[in-house]
Amino acid sequence: MVASIVLSGVAIGCIYALIAITYNVMFSASRVFSFTAGTLGMLGGVLGSLFIARMGMPVAVGFLLALAGGAVFGIVTEIVAVRPVLKSLDQHLYVLSTLALALMIQQFTAIEWSTEPQPFPRLLDIAHVEFDQQFWLPMLACAAVIVGLELLYRHSLIGHAFLAIAEDNYAARALGLPERRLRMMSYALAGAIGALAGFAGGEMLLAFFANAPMLTFYGFVPVALGGMGNNRGAVVAGLLLGLFQQTANFLVGGIFASVAVFTVFIIVLLARPEGIASPALRRRV
Amino acid sequence: MMDTQATPLRPSRANVRGSVSTLGAALPFLALLVVGVSLPLFAGGYWGVIATRACVYWVLVSGLNLVVGFAGQIAIGWVALLTLGAYTTSVLVAGNVMPALPPYLALAIAAVVGAIFGLVIGLPALRLRTFYFAITTLGFATIVTQVALAWQSVTGGGVGVAGPVFPEPFASQWGFYYFCFGLAAICTWMTANIAASRFGRALTAIRDAEVAAEACGISKPVLLGAVFLFSGAVAAVAGGLFASLQSYITPDAFTLDLSVLFFIAILIGGRSSIFGPLLGTILLTVLPEFAAPLVAWSTFLYAVLLLVIVLAIPGGIAEILDFKNRRPLESDRAIVPRPELIVRLLDAAPNGGALTLQQVALSFGGVRAIDGLDLEIRPGQVHGLIGPNGSGKTTTLNVISGYYAPQRGAVRLNGAAMHVLAHHRRAHMRIARTFQTPRIVGSASVLQNVMIGGTIDGEGTFVESLLSLPRHRRDEAMLRDTAMLALAAVGLEQLAPVRADRLQHSELRFTEIARALMLRPKFLLLDEPAAGLSVEEISRLSALLLAIARAGTGVLLVEHHPDLIFDICHHITVLNLGKTLAAGTPAEIRSHREVINAYLGG
Amino acid sequence: MSLTRRQALASGAAVIAGTMVRPAIAAKEPILIGYLPALTGPSSSTGVGINRGVQLAVQEINAAGGIDGRQIELITRDTQSDPTKAVNGAAELTRGQKVSVVLGPVNSGESLAVVPLLARANTPQIHPCWVDTLTDPKKYPMCFRNAPTNQQIGGAANRYVVEVLKRKKVAVISDTTGYGTASVNAYVPMLKGVGADVVYQGNIDAANPDLRPELLRMQSAGAEAIMPWSVNAGFLSRIINTRGQMGWDVPIVGQTTLGSGQTKALLEKPEYWAKVYPNNFRPVCYAAGGKLSDRTSAFVDRLKSAKIDMADTLLWWIALGYDTPRMIAEAMKSVGTEPEQIVGYLNKLTEFPGVYGDIAFTADRHDGYPDNEVVMVEANSLRDGAFNLAPGYGS
Repeated sequence: MVASIVLSGVAIGCIYALIAITYNVMFSASRVFSFTAGTLGMLGGVLGSLFIARMGMPVAVGFLLALAGGAVFGIVTEIVAVRPVLKSLDQHLYVLSTLALALMIQQFTAIEWSTEPQPFPRLLDIAHVEFDQQFWLPMLACAAVIVGLELLYRHSLIGHAFLAIAEDNYAARALGLPERRLRMMSYALAGAIGALAGFAGGEMLLAFFANAPMLTFYGFVPVALGGMGNNRGAVVAGLLLGLFQQTANFLVGGIFASVAVFTVFIIVLLARPEGIASPALRRRV
Repeated sequence: MMDTQATPLRPSRANVRGSVSTLGAALPFLALLVVGVSLPLFAGGYWGVIATRACVYWVLVSGLNLVVGFAGQIAIGWVALLTLGAYTTSVLVAGNVMPALPPYLALAIAAVVGAIFGLVIGLPALRLRTFYFAITTLGFATIVTQVALAWQSVTGGGVGVAGPVFPEPFASQWGFYYFCFGLAAICTWMTANIAASRFGRALTAIRDAEVAAEACGISKPVLLGAVFLFSGAVAAVAGGLFASLQSYITPDAFTLDLSVLFFIAILIGGRSSIFGPLLGTILLTVLPEFAAPLVAWSTFLYAVLLLVIVLAIPGGIAEILDFKNRRPLESDRAIVPRPELIVRLLDAAPNGGALTLQQVALSFGGVRAIDGLDLEIRPGQVHGLIGPNGSGKTTTLNVISGYYAPQRGAVRLNGAAMHVLAHHRRAHMRIARTFQTPRIVGSASVLQNVMIGGTIDGEGTFVESLLSLPRHRRDEAMLRDTAMLALAAVGLEQLAPVRADRLQHSELRFTEIARALMLRPKFLLLDEPAAGLSVEEISRLSALLLAIARAGTGVLLVEHHPDLIFDICHHITVLNLGKTLAAGTPAEIRSHREVINAYLGG
Repeated sequence: MSLTRRQALASGAAVIAGTMVRPAIAAKEPILIGYLPALTGPSSSTGVGINRGVQLAVQEINAAGGIDGRQIELITRDTQSDPTKAVNGAAELTRGQKVSVVLGPVNSGESLAVVPLLARANTPQIHPCWVDTLTDPKKYPMCFRNAPTNQQIGGAANRYVVEVLKRKKVAVISDTTGYGTASVNAYVPMLKGVGADVVYQGNIDAANPDLRPELLRMQSAGAEAIMPWSVNAGFLSRIINTRGQMGWDVPIVGQTTLGSGQTKALLEKPEYWAKVYPNNFRPVCYAAGGKLSDRTSAFVDRLKSAKIDMADTLLWWIALGYDTPRMIAEAMKSVGTEPEQIVGYLNKLTEFPGVYGDIAFTADRHDGYPDNEVVMVEANSLRDGAFNLAPGYGS
């Protein structure tokens, strides 16, 4: 029993953590949060099912195509919903534009793909065991992304450029970094990470359009609790969230579990509005 | 030199113009009123149901409009209050938990419950960033639905509960329609009253110019609290009506799509507007009924509409219908202040106490922004504060305004120490300020922007404004007259009805000064008011500031323009690297060797 | 001034009214039948299946000349599994289109809101929803149900578990929809009434991706059978898959959707579908010799020649959809299209020989489906949309 809760909790926590990282990568590049992060997760599952199960492609090909699809949608987010509003004086328009885009993608998927969960293919043709691939695939994905991002930011020029844009936008531009192109690449990367989350979690979550609002909320909770732009905090918070949710599911049942998660979330957020990690000073006047 | 002609104001024409424009503004509402009242004459029962639904939705949206449209809070999950109101009314009427109550009483109780929960859901907005708040409202919406599902003994769980039936004459289909229509009309009237009150203007100030709003003394928590209470109450009433319309409610009727509909109706309609969101609500309710295939795609279409609005017409329908502001403005208009009017505006006692800084020090991280500063601003005098960039001028201003707390030293008014970090209390002390970059509400008119400055002088409460009671109308008349006077004094009265974001930069600066004058300030703090002004405008500004000082106000002028400084200041303090480099009369400063080296140049 | 405005408004309104309200003209006008399926949305699997049958029946009736020479015009309003849209649709059908009778809605949550509305509009209604309170000859004299009630369905399943499979310790699980919660509330006392011991009872969020903790709880409570009640194929498939992964050998007995093509598609291994016994209906099942009844065979042949897909849905949904318009057509042919006439006919209907079942109503009983035609079947015997009876069933 405990083993089962831990397994599913950590697995789903890794999916939430990956969505949180998606939020963070987008935030680092543009200083805005995008409602499309959860939708990208949903697309990872749907595209995976579409390419592999429905169109019959081999798993590796479907996987790469799904990631590519995520990257494309990430770029679409940047071009359609983020770039136009960054210029405007009203900084809050991005909430609305990304919300609109996310809704459009969700509704389109619901109508064209299906309103019911569709099967997600079994990725590795091996037998079922207790520690099944549906649990360790998300964990593997999460670990890979963390290591990959670490290598990217620390040891590659592009990674340094991403960090520079995130740290100090003006200075980076003054140094001649191509801000727009870097932002697009960041969004493409974020899109791929989101799609990876949905793909790796597909066997658990199935290919279902309604995963989008669920991931939008539960993927944001680790961001809020771990601190904006803070990937390590997001991962820790994501795992804790997954474990907490599955434990609550088991102890008090599905309905009260979401009440419990939300209550804890809002209490922590009100106590530390910037998250658990310490905030940066903002000059207002 | 300035104009010496003293032409009197023409109040009568302004009033006539005012009442005509009010009628013009009311015309669209009256048209809808007529259509709505006469609906049974030409529409069948089906359209009656749709119209009733639109009325019910508008009852909720009218309140949410104050939260989202006016206050700019992204409360996406407001359907939670619809759910709450629907279940509260239905359960109380059905008699599941206690003896059955009459429907009107149940509706009233639902309104109270809605008000409380509106506050609960809305208050996190004061602590959380925009996106976080949006997500928490979504979470609330889910939670309320889950609780409705789980609490089977009360709500019937998944099976649901029957909606209330209102007694005759509202039991029949058209009777119920008129009931909802009546409530919708009342909500329209009430929210229009708020929009045209100091509370409505204060909300837009919080949304678009929060720092300036604080400087005008507007208290965000109190104002938002009032709005959340009201908005929660009407949303719950809408819920009770919704339950009656549906005749039976289950948790799955309260979808995220509904929340999105409400939210998008407001944004399509345009912010700071009542008519726009009203039209938006009607549009979004009625549109899917025109074509069956449209129903399935309705949420997709709403989202497309939202994206188009956000990207192309952020002002929404209201902006499209704003014919008044399409009329071109004169291209070569001049700002001609009338300093002689200042005396009618201000009444500070010239022998009041001074505002002093004593050995104030403040560091940001490792940087010493101000290092042991002494400053004295005397009433009736202009005190200049100059120095190179980064010398601590604006920081000093912000310390006096109460945005930063000094780590050492004290800021005193009349000898008494001022509260630190109480930036919204400064207005009550009659300390007003302008900002380095003008902070105004672009979508409001110049007159409305200036009226914001006098918000704290209104006496009427929120409820009195809601119901347009006499004290509210007296406040409005007082604020309007004072604002027109202030605008005349700074020379912008011709531009009073113009939307502020159409103004030139220099006109915005003078608008800020007019807004500051609304407080009848004892002390006026100006942050580089001459930046971007032409030579002619600077000289007019000088005359204006001198008149303000002569009327008894103490003026602190942070500036770069040496002419302005040396022309009108009685005392000058020169800052360099946070320390006083020199202090004295203009003559002394002009010949001070160190000042010349560091700042003025040979 | 205002008078002129009102006159202008009135004339403009007349134009609008003319386009909105259908003028009542004479004899060979089509007969309008309203139809409120859920074709999209979370609970659409039933509606999609039923729709195929309804469309086929209406086409056949019209091709054979309609009703006394009048064609049937089916006016469809997709409720999208949303009670709000169902109410809007019902209002339009009755007041706008002025239909003679309404078929549906097909989901209980939507019907709960629509039944009172149609009663107020004096429009006869036939629906296949199972929640017990959805018929009431006194409150809703024009509302009829041509499908079983929750009591009948649950009764058959409970009896199978306790008396045929001889399992006493039962776990009852459903999702959090109206149908799910109503079912659990109804069936648990019924189970106790036939001598079973309900060791687990739960309403689980259908979106929960991992049901293993729930099944482990059932197992540790000693459950000998699992009874799920949900129309959500994703939810049901997760239960079946988890049982298979755990290697736990207990029968799953419950909702008909356990046997649908959609559920099958979501299974990890076809073997998992063994020992799954959903509800179904005798007329559309294979009898002892592996053959369908003549009536049903003929129907299946017609479906195949009309190229109607059965693989991703259930035969009984299609059959139910097929029977309903035909029953209405017979009523109208016999007595006419006025509401009182139709209701009077139905109240005396002793047997309508439908493909799905033999429907009968009385003035006091508006639930038309016979008890003995509700049966349990074996899910993995699915062939051409029909099933074999579950083992242990008498013929």
